[in-house]
This record gives sequence, C-alpha cells and structure tokens, in this order.
Amino acid sequence: MNFRLRLALLFVTTLVAVQVFTALLAYGVARRALIADGERQLAVGAAAVAHQLDDISSRVADNVQVLSLDFALRAAIAQNDQSTVLSALRNHGRRIGAERMLLVGLDGTVRSDTAEPAGGAFPFADLADAALDHPAAAVVALDGKAYWMIVVPVYAPKPIALIAAGIPVDDALLAHLQQLSALPNTLELVTRGADDRWTGIAHGDDRVGIAPALAGRELPLQPTLVRLDASEYVVLATRLRESERSTPVAAVLGYSLDDALRPYRSVAIAWASLVALGLAIGLIGALLIARGVARPIEKLAAAAHRIGTGDYAPAAPMIKSDEVGQLAAALSNMTLAIAEREERIRYQAEHDAVTALPNRHAAEAVIRHALSTRPAAGALLMVGLARLPEIIQTMGHTISDRLMRDAGARLRPFAARGVVARATDTQFALWLDGADKADAIAIAFRILDVLGVPYQESDLSIDAAPAIGIALHPVHGEEASTLLRRAEIALFAALGAEDPVAVYDASTDPHRPERLTLMTELREALDRNQLRLHYQPKLRLADDRIDGAEALLRWQHPLRGAVPPDTFIPLAERTGNIRRVTRWVLASGIAQAHVWAARGHALRIAINLSARDLDDADLPTRVADLLSLHAVAPRNIVLELTESAVMGEPDTAVQVLKRLADLGIDLAIDDFGVGQSSLAYLRRLPVREIKIDRFFTQKLGEDVGDRTLVRSIVELGHRLGYRVTAEGIETRAAFEYLRDVGCDHVQGYYIAAALEPDALEAMLTRDGGATNRGVRA
Amino acid sequence: MHVGMPAIAAWMLVSTVATAAELDVVVVDARGAPAEDAVVSLHGGDAPPPRAAVTREIDQRNETFIPYVEVFRPGDRVVFRNSDRTRHHVYSFAPAKSFEFVIAPGGDTPAVVLDRVGEIAVGCNIHDRMITHLYVSDAPWVAKSDAQGHAVFRGLPNSRYEVRVWHPQLRPGKAEPEQAVDVAGDTATLRFSLPLLADPRPDPADNERARY
Repeated sequence: MNFRLRLALLFVTTLVAVQVFTALLAYGVARRALIADGERQLAVGAAAVAHQLDDISSRVADNVQVLSLDFALRAAIAQNDQSTVLSALRNHGRRIGAERMLLVGLDGTVRSDTAEPAGGAFPFADLADAALDHPAAAVVALDGKAYWMIVVPVYAPKPIALIAAGIPVDDALLAHLQQLSALPNTLELVTRGADDRWTGIAHGDDRVGIAPALAGRELPLQPTLVRLDASEYVVLATRLRESERSTPVAAVLGYSLDDALRPYRSVAIAWASLVALGLAIGLIGALLIARGVARPIEKLAAAAHRIGTGDYAPAAPMIKSDEVGQLAAALSNMTLAIAEREERIRYQAEHDAVTALPNRHAAEAVIRHALSTRPAAGALLMVGLARLPEIIQTMGHTISDRLMRDAGARLRPFAARGVVARATDTQFALWLDGADKADAIAIAFRILDVLGVPYQESDLSIDAAPAIGIALHPVHGEEASTLLRRAEIALFAALGAEDPVAVYDASTDPHRPERLTLMTELREALDRNQLRLHYQPKLRLADDRIDGAEALLRWQHPLRGAVPPDTFIPLAERTGNIRRVTRWVLASGIAQAHVWAARGHALRIAINLSARDLDDADLPTRVADLLSLHAVAPRNIVLELTESAVMGEPDTAVQVLKRLADLGIDLAIDDFGVGQSSLAYLRRLPVREIKIDRFFTQKLGEDVGDRTLVRSIVELGHRLGYRVTAEGIETRAAFEYLRDVGCDHVQGYYIAAALEPDALEAMLTRDGGATNRGVRA
Repeated sequence: MHVGMPAIAAWMLVSTVATAAELDVVVVDARGAPAEDAVVSLHGGDAPPPRAAVTREIDQRNETFIPYVEVFRPGDRVVFRNSDRTRHHVYSFAPAKSFEFVIAPGGDTPAVVLDRVGEIAVGCNIHDRMITHLYVSDAPWVAKSDAQGHAVFRGLPNSRYEVRVWHPQLRPGKAEPEQAVDVAGDTATLRFSLPLLADPRPDPADNERARY
C-alpha cells in the first residue's frame, strides 16, 4: 500500500468515523430529546386527560343534578311511583347520554334500574355515601366497559334518594377527547381483569392497544419505555377518579417514538445523502491532495535514486513553496554540492597537484580508453628528467615543483594528439594517438628541444637533462599498463645512454614476465637440486700444475635445457634470490673441496659471491660453519667478487670481507679492469688476488695495446702483493704471453672448459696432477 | 328560637314550683362548632301539662324560610307568608303532611294543621335552595338549640331521661343520636357531637340572590 493510498484511506476513514459518530450522536440526542419530549407531552397529556374527564364528569354531574331537581320526578320518587320513576329515569337518561340510570335509596338499595331488575344493593356504596356531600363521580368498569358512574342526591327538598347515571366512556369519547386537545396519539383505558392482567376497555382514535405491553408490570405511573409490536413507546398511566368498589381503571397514554422520529426520517435521508456526497468529494479531494503530496515526494525519491547512481543533472525545479518544495530545493542544493565535491575529488584523484596534469592513474585510464577502440597505432612516451633527484636534494622540493610545473606547461601542447600526464615524481607520460615509431621519435626530439631550454628562475638556470623512452602500440604492448612499464624501461635505458631517446627493446628488458617465472623455477631447482657446479681448472704457470678450480653454476632445466648463468644470476640478484643461490653454491663447493681434499687432490676452490651477499652480515659465520662442517681448511677456498660489487659498497660490506679474510680465506677481485676500480680503495680491502677480465686476454695474441695493458696489470698486481690470474685464455699465443709476463695462473678453454667434478678428477688423475699443457686442442 | 322561647317561657312559668333541676344540652358539629337549630327532646320523668294548639307563621324573606327549624306539637297549625316580591311554590312530600302552595308576593297560605308527629321538610319548587323543617313532636320536653348550640331545660323533675337530638343536616337514613341522663337536683350538662351535612341554605353573604 503506497503512501498516496494510505493518506487517502486515512482521510476517508476519518471522515466516515466522524460522520458515523456524528450520526450516532445526533440519533442519540434526538432520541433522548424525543423521549424527554414524549415524557413531557405525556405528563401534560395525562394531567389533561384527568382534567378533561373531571371537567366532563362535573358537567354531566351538573346535568344529572338538574334532572334530579325535576319536580315531577321528585314527586314520583317521594310518592314511590315506580313506573313513573323508571320512565322518567329513562327519559332523563337519554337527555344526558346515560346508558343506565338507577334510583338508589338512602339505605343503598336500588329502587329503580333502567337496565336490570331493582332490589339489589347499589354496587358503589362509597359513591352513594359521598353523594350527600357533593356530586360523586367515578370511572368504573362494568361488564367489560368503562362508565362514568355519577351519583347525585334527590332533594325533596331534603335528600330522599340518589340518582346514579352510568355514562359510557367509549372509544368515541376518547377520540373526542383527543380531538379537543393536543393529546398524544395513543390513549387507552385499561382495567385490571380477573386474571390480574391489564386489559384495554376503550381506545383512542388510533386503536392501538398498549395493554399487552403492560403484562407483568406495575402500572407505569412514571414515563416508561416499552416495546409494542416492534415499535417503541413511551407510556404513562394516570389513575382516574375511581370507586373503591370497582376494579381499578386507568388511562394509559402512549407516545410512539417511531412516529415522533418519522419527521426526522427525511432529515436523516438528506443528511445521509449529504454524507455520501461529502464522502465522495472528500475521497476525491483526499486523492487529489494525496497526489499533490505524494507526486512530488515520488519525484524526489526518483531524483534521489538518480543521484545515488551518480547522475547529478539538476532536477526539474519545483515551484512549490511548501515543505516538499523546500525538500526539493535542499535536495537540489545537495546534488550540486555533491556533484561539485565529487568533481573536486575526482579531479584530485586524477590530477597531479603540482602540474595540474592528469596523474598516472588517469593517464592509464585515458590510454586504456584509447586502446579500447583498437587503434592501428599509438605511442607512449615517457619523459624523465634525469637531474631531478639531484635538484631536489640540492634545492628542495619548492624549486623542483616549480620546475616540474614549468616542464608540464611546456609539455601541455603535445596533449593535442593524446594526453600528457605526470607519471611519477620525475616522469611525464605522453600518449600519442595513431603515432607510429617514426612519429614518436620525431615528437620525442621536439620534446627534447622544448625541455632542453633550461628552466629560468631569477638568478637560477637549471638544465633538467630530459630523456625519453618510447613504447609502441601494438608491438610493445596491447595494454596501457604494459605500455607504461615498457616506456619507463625504455626511459631508464635512455637515461643511462648517450642517446636521450630510446625505443623499448624487449631483449634488454630485465623485467619481462618470463623472468619471474624463471625465478619461481629457480627456487624449485634449488629445492630439487637441479643445479650443478662445474669446475674450471686454474693452471699455475709456475709449475704447470692445476692447483685450483673456479666453481661455475650450471642449471639444467628439465624443459628449457641448460639455462646460462648470465640469464638467471642477475635476475636472482634483482629479485632477492641470490642469497639462496650463494648459500647453495657455498655448501656445494665446500663439500666438493672436502671430497677432493680427502682424495688427495690439492685444489683451491674459487666460489663467486654476489654484491648482494656482502649485505649479509651472517655470511662469514655461515662460511665458517660450512668449513668446519666439512672439515675444509680455509686456505682451500677462494671467494671471488666482481669489481663493481666491492666498489662503493658501504662499510658493512667491508666488514664482511674483513671477517672472511680473518677466517683465512683468500678473496679475489673478478673481472678486474673493466670496472672503475679505485686502486686506492682496493688497497683497503683484504684482497689477495685479482683476475684479469677476458676482455683484455682474448686478443692478447695480436693486440699490442692489450699486451701492454696486461703486462702492466700483472706488474702492478705483483707490486701491490696480489696474485694475478688471467681468465678467458683460448689461444696458445695468449697462454705463452702470460707465461712470459709472469702471470700466476691462467684459466680458460685453452686449459679446459668448466668440467663436472668427476671429469675434473679424471683429468687430474690422468695428468698426475702436474700437466704440462703445451697445447690443448 | 323566637318561636320556641314563648313556649318555654310559658312552660317555665308553669313549672316554677316544681323546679328541681336544670339540663343544659350542648350540640356541636363534627368540628366542635355550635350547632344551631338542633331539636333536643327528652323522654322520661313526669310530663308537663299539655298546652293549647297554636298557629305559627313561617315567613319567606329574601328567598329564605324563616325560621329554618320550627318545633310543633301535634295539632298546631302553620301558615306560610311570602314577604318577597317573587312567587314561592312551597311544597312538602313528607309522610307527616304533604302540601303544595303557590304564594303570590305578599300573600300567605291558609293554616295547615299538623296533626301527625314527624319531620316535614318544606321546599320551594322555584328556589331550590329554600328549605325549612317543621318538626312535629309529642315528646314531653322539647327545645331547639340557640346560636351557641345550647338547649337548656329548667325545672326538670329529678328523673332519668332519654335525650334525643335531631338536626336537619343529619345524614339521612341514620337513627337519631340518643343519650340517657339522670337529672338529680342540680344542673346537668350533656354534649352531643353530630356529623352534619353542609347547610343547604344559601350563604347570607352570597350576592347572587341580591341580583333578583
């Protein structure tokens, strides 16, 4: 049931309830008023009936009295002339309308009677007795009829007899009485019958008998409500003047409530019609009002729902000035406020506060949207400012923010073909719709021109050193996030390169997804022991003996086959897996050292450490534990580190190295010569050996410059107290030259490739531990 | 009373010598008011000597019989006189004597001999309310009460007497009230209280009659 219906029902119910209540009230009031009126009328009527009957009776009595004074009658009575008396009585009776005339002696005996034989006692002795004082009259019941019995004395001149006249009180007389006065419409004379029940003996003009309703009641001397033939009457009885010797006779007056209500029936019908009309009008009005109230509310509800779904379009203005109108206005205001706030939040969420450009998230959304149309081409340019971190450190964020804002403003025009966004603190992203590689590169160089103008601020001039990485759609990615990432990778490549513009190159991307898979598999390989250590022998040039071997990690992947260490080691370093690898390598290498030592092979095992391993303060302890576990002497182990690993490392790394050296382990610098090793720095480290990178040794046979360099390194190393090993020896010429310049050890295919432990051991056994390696091939 | 006094006075003169006692009979009505015109008769004792018959006149004046009650001895005569300017039709249906006279204004009737004992009610057929009572008694002692209701008997010989009282307004059909009294030398008093009907005569103050 909706609000409108309920409202209308409430209206109608209230209306009906009020009308019914009013009707009941009116009926009750009218009925009570009518009853009271009836009672009043009855009281008046009863008094009037009694009074009129008395009045008539006294007139009749006067008439009888006059008759009694007729001289002839008196003479006849005095002379006891029976027949004359009887005929005179009949004659006079007719004159006054009496039905029965009697002559009663003073002793109470009936001397003449027009109805019955004389001689008996007069039945109403009390009347006879009273008649001497005044004319006596009473209403008596005789033979089921009502009579006035009027008794007067006959004076001759003193009382000599009494005349009794019986005058019928019949229906005609009552009707006459009713006509004479405004008596209630029901009048009845009742008498108590032999069975003690009240019986009607005369009725008024409406012939209604009240007597049956009096059964089992006392005479209603006070107004009483009775039910008579399904009608209600107020009845009131009044005792008439009566004779002690007669059965009681009373006049009962009735007031019909139904008759009294009859004039009101038309009023009631008119009223009911009015109620029905009012009800109809009220119903229609209630529905209209309810609609007037509910419609706007329903509209508001719809508007609120619409707002809930994010549609802030202003609702149709409501002209009403009532509460609903106010609500509508408030809702409208609220909508505007919400829309404004949401707009602000969205703007803040999608824009960078400094440059007012879209942020990376928004840019990604825009690009995603652009890609959803499956364009033929598109390019994502990632513009980085290489010097920005330095600028922040030296001049603070205020300047850098202003610089970025300026850069953003310069880039903004390029948004014409797509979108310009601030991707990170130091980077802008540009999406160029429909740009191919050539377009992208051309635009990149224009951007470089624009950004290449140094930022000017008062006496400050800053060159932000921009670089741009480009990722192309669809070749470099179908998705916005991929393009962003790859453009960023390309940017990193550009930042480190001479050419400040770089296009993404999948082959150099260290972040290709399959790398992650590889790491997962690397961990599995560690767990399942799929890794192997191969050992490349190191030849001591002093006696041509193999006295050491470098442990090299080999991964035989069940599906991929052999995975080169160049592929997974850097990856393991970047993904934090290198320590597990190192741990495995150390354990495996030290265990092998023990095996070989036990079999009498004096081999120093060189194990490579990663730069990341030097962050691990537990490394020396773990190495010591492994050595003691396998009972391997520290001098049988060499740990190799690349130049770049030891350079610029913090003091913790130095501490780790020193503790390893303190264990008695020799440390070696790998790939010596290609990095930016500072000899001064190296001097501070407990290094015992340097290994010349293969970059210098591969062309040693023909390149004079390399020969000079290698000779210098060997001499320098020896001067500084290091042992010197040359790697990547593949030719006899290189081998011979190194022997000539006094290099300590050589290592490379010319001696032997990296071998499995069994193969190395077999080689050692075959050569008897001392191999004079002239030629290997 | 006017009529009665000479008789008593005469009787008193006669019986002075033998006077021995006095009887005062007081008659009142039911409310204790003195009842005038009551006829008290005594029976017993020695009867006084009879007197000669007399003629008494009943006047009719202002439509009223005067007196209202007159006591007669058997053999007395009565004459009705009309002192009004209207006719009167006097009549009696009494068993003791019935008659009927129409008396012209200023006229009178022949004397009617009342020879039988009894009460004779006399009315006028023209004027319903005119009534007078002729009480014919042969009792030894008889007197009519005065306005104070007293009927006094003097010089009664000592004896026992039956005292009866009659009054025109006694209820008809009832026996006359009667009391016995012993009279012995001094004054005896007897009291009668009678239930009386209303006085049928018109009120003297009634103006209605003056209009005729």
